[in-house]
Amino acid sequence: MILLQVIVGGLLLGAIYALFSSGLTLIWGMMNFINFAHGEFVMLGMYAAFVMVLWFHAGPLAFIPVAALALVAVGLLVYFGVIRSVMRGPMLAQILSTFGLALLLRYLAFWIFSANFVSLPPTALRGTLRIGGILIDVPQLVGGTTAAALTIAMHLFLTRTRAGSQLLAVAEDRAAAMLMGIRPDRMQALAWAIAAGSAGIAGALIAITYPFSPSIGEVFGLTAFVVVTFGGFGSVPGALIAGLLIGLIQALSAFYLGPIYKDIAVYALFIAVLWVRPQGLMGKA
Amino acid sequence: MRNASRAAFGWLALAAGAIVYPLVLPGAFYIDVGTTLLLAAATAAAWNIIGGYAGQVSVGHAMFFGAGAYLPLLVYKLWQWPPIAGLPFGIVVSLVLAVLVGMPTFRLQGHYFSMATIAVAELIRLVVATAEPLGAAIGLQGPAVGRGVWDLTFRSGLPYYYLFLALLAMVLATSWWLQRSRLGFYLRSLRASERAARSLGVPVRRCKLLALMLSAAFTSAAGSLYAVKTGFVDPESGLGILVSVQMIIVAALGGAGTLFGPVLGALILIPLQTLTNTYFGGEGSGLTYILYGGAILLIARFEPGGLLDLVYRARGLFAKPAPSSEQSRHAA
Amino acid sequence: MRGNRLARLLLLAGALMAAPLAQAADAVKIGILWPLTGNAAAAGQAAKAAAEVAQDIVNNAHPELKGIPLADTAGLPNMGGAKLELVFVDHQGNPSLAQQLALRLITQDKVHVLFGAYQSSCSFTSTAVAERYGIPFVIGDSAASNLTGRGFKWLFRVTPIATDFAEAYMRFFDDMKKQGKSIRSIAIVNENTDYGTSVGDAIEAAAKKNNMPVAIRIPYSASSSDVSAQVLQLRDKQPDVVIFISYTSDSILYMRTMRNLDYVPPMVLGDDSGFSDPSFIPAVGDIAQGVMNRSSWDIGKPGSTTYKINEMYKAKTGRDLDDTSARNLQGMLALADALNRAGSTEPEKIQKALRETDLKPEQIMMGYRGVKYDETGQNVLASTYLIQLKGKQYEPVWPEKAATTPIQWPMQTAKH
Repeated sequence: MILLQVIVGGLLLGAIYALFSSGLTLIWGMMNFINFAHGEFVMLGMYAAFVMVLWFHAGPLAFIPVAALALVAVGLLVYFGVIRSVMRGPMLAQILSTFGLALLLRYLAFWIFSANFVSLPPTALRGTLRIGGILIDVPQLVGGTTAAALTIAMHLFLTRTRAGSQLLAVAEDRAAAMLMGIRPDRMQALAWAIAAGSAGIAGALIAITYPFSPSIGEVFGLTAFVVVTFGGFGSVPGALIAGLLIGLIQALSAFYLGPIYKDIAVYALFIAVLWVRPQGLMGKA
Repeated sequence: MRNASRAAFGWLALAAGAIVYPLVLPGAFYIDVGTTLLLAAATAAAWNIIGGYAGQVSVGHAMFFGAGAYLPLLVYKLWQWPPIAGLPFGIVVSLVLAVLVGMPTFRLQGHYFSMATIAVAELIRLVVATAEPLGAAIGLQGPAVGRGVWDLTFRSGLPYYYLFLALLAMVLATSWWLQRSRLGFYLRSLRASERAARSLGVPVRRCKLLALMLSAAFTSAAGSLYAVKTGFVDPESGLGILVSVQMIIVAALGGAGTLFGPVLGALILIPLQTLTNTYFGGEGSGLTYILYGGAILLIARFEPGGLLDLVYRARGLFAKPAPSSEQSRHAA
Repeated sequence: MRGNRLARLLLLAGALMAAPLAQAADAVKIGILWPLTGNAAAAGQAAKAAAEVAQDIVNNAHPELKGIPLADTAGLPNMGGAKLELVFVDHQGNPSLAQQLALRLITQDKVHVLFGAYQSSCSFTSTAVAERYGIPFVIGDSAASNLTGRGFKWLFRVTPIATDFAEAYMRFFDDMKKQGKSIRSIAIVNENTDYGTSVGDAIEAAAKKNNMPVAIRIPYSASSSDVSAQVLQLRDKQPDVVIFISYTSDSILYMRTMRNLDYVPPMVLGDDSGFSDPSFIPAVGDIAQGVMNRSSWDIGKPGSTTYKINEMYKAKTGRDLDDTSARNLQGMLALADALNRAGSTEPEKIQKALRETDLKPEQIMMGYRGVKYDETGQNVLASTYLIQLKGKQYEPVWPEKAATTPIQWPMQTAKH
């Protein structure tokens, strides 16, 4: 029974990982662009929720969409203000610009909200479900299912809609896409809007359970990198599976080996996967 | 010819400036800032060998820096040797690490190498943080008060300054030699197009591995000097991801794949860090990082190829030793 | 407070330009190294506010603060009313930057004393600089026990250290056993950086010495976003007391996860830090009723000296003074007392005065038995209370003479 509880806990955590990583895989896989500020997008989503709750006593149904919209705006601003010109430069400029952006966003939040930890006051989403002897945290469950739903929606959008396939076309071959009358600029802006927006949703959902401070983005950023590489660059379902898998490995190794070994286990496995299957679980070779 | 002599003149002036700097600004604090600058330039220049010339963006150079930093304090802890005696051991460990990381990952291209280096460095950091003999989370200390001149614990920062200057000179001399050597030519060609280089008979993997080992050895030596000077290392300061990122930022800011880029990057970034921290650090508002992050962002936005591009454009002085901006982002 | 940042910035810029003129000849300069940005920024910021309260207490006349040395006079009387001048620097949690800033404070700002540095790593490097230059360094709060005991002559630490806490816990367990409570085994859950490791090691060693079985020791990383595996391990081992050595977000996470997994041990004992963070009670106060915590600080009853000090801090920050910051505040006050007795800013005289420090319990705001340094510079009279969360605040419950309310054991009688 205890093993089952560990597994459920790990999967729920993994779903959260998948949730904040799905946006990154879009940017990274589609545009071959490393975004070091992705964790900060998640952090901004958390503070967007915080502000909504603080000022308007908003519930989750209000603050989650608002966080998403706020981050869509941030994503577009970042794309048109910075990324569009940085993309023409070398790959190192991507690291440089997004690292600078990460510091800027983190410390702007620090300036406005101070370094202190905050948590959201209790919302409607609270409590524990008992299913057959297993205890499940409601916010985690909601977060997990939303992650899965969001990931599937993103996947369907990319594969089934016109805009999605245009986006993929730009990712595949920019020049060819342009010849076909697709405007890469708009598609890439769309990708950034979706990526940042989903990070915003992730942040708002995570904020329900976890206390946070402006430096929390660092943790999410690094985990998201691992999830995305693990799952395969650009593979949205890959990110979901990799997220779940990593959550599971962490929970099991934390329980059986001790919590300090859980990240060691993840990185060791990650290196092993890179070795035998460098394209990741679901990536194209 | 004329360009070359002007370049030589520029280097001479820079070297002279670096040598007399501590005599012009003799305060212990200024010397320490100068030393920090030299350390940043030396590590970035070492990183530049693999990350710039060869175009293999390592985000895990902290593992070499950390190996270099831990070994001196480890030999002191275990056998009470003078810390500097650990420097060669650090280099050996780093070379072994370079081979272990390089052999498998150089099959991969682009982001995979970056991700693999991040993962290995993080793995090492996490393991060291739990390893009791390595001081675990608390870290290792050097001799607090020197027992003799070989402990290199000087009250004056001057000896450290010149030690780091000598190291930087060595890294730059090696880079200069590399630029003109066959290996350097191979590296530039494989950076431009790995497939093309391979088809022309360039031993791609061996070249990358050599560059990584060279880079690792110098990074490790810099780590050792850092540990001797600071007298302390813990997992975060020796092996943390920020150590790796700092090298990239400094090199990329100045211009990766050029001889002068890392030096220029350090000349801009370290004073920027110091000034913002001096004037706004005590306030504690985070303004330090807002300005610092903002400056990096702006430079990347307007000079994605590094500031050296700007210098060359503005001065039109001499031809670029190696073009920096054609590092393909389509590499992966 | 945040709104007038710009104003303060302009003021600061003005102050910087006017600095050479405004420098009062007789001010005593204290250089303070703290992490004001980075991951430990919250603690550094709180400590900064606490240091400013200490400065206010010393520099201005506060006759209402009974017993606190230097409160009723303005400035340091033995130095003709010289004021304390604080120079704050931000070492960002980076040990080599801490070293550089210690150099700057000593050689550029010409401070007379150094104070800091929170993270043990930064204390290691910055105290070494002070030692080389022969400038006294007072450690307000750094956990690692091996900071003192390196043969340093210029190092003084006011705060109790890991071994003190560990011994206090053992004495507390003995007392409880005498009262008939069952403590068959304990569990130690510690975050795995310098703070958690030092304290966890000390507790484990003390438990061994006192024949107290440690059912399980769980080191973990404070950045974990899920701790359910740890909680399940604890539930499995059934310890009678779980000691958490945790930072802010992880301590909150533990409380929530324990609730979610329906696990309530007979007693939870927090080791200060996260459990003392002002965000702890608002976040989990309702589900963490009965949790015990270590603290040397008690706000006390309205009208008391400690209460008034807390009011001063609250006026500045809007939050209650937490234990970590209070220990820094006490460190500053003890330093000011020594400076006054030194009657001079010469390093040797300050060092001598620090060595001769002998503050009585009624002269200090903390629950120490006094302030008196041994030859390594460690305050041997430092000690701690244990407090218990009842309603919306912690109440002192141990030792008995400091208790304001009886201890509740087990922490929660009925599960809900």
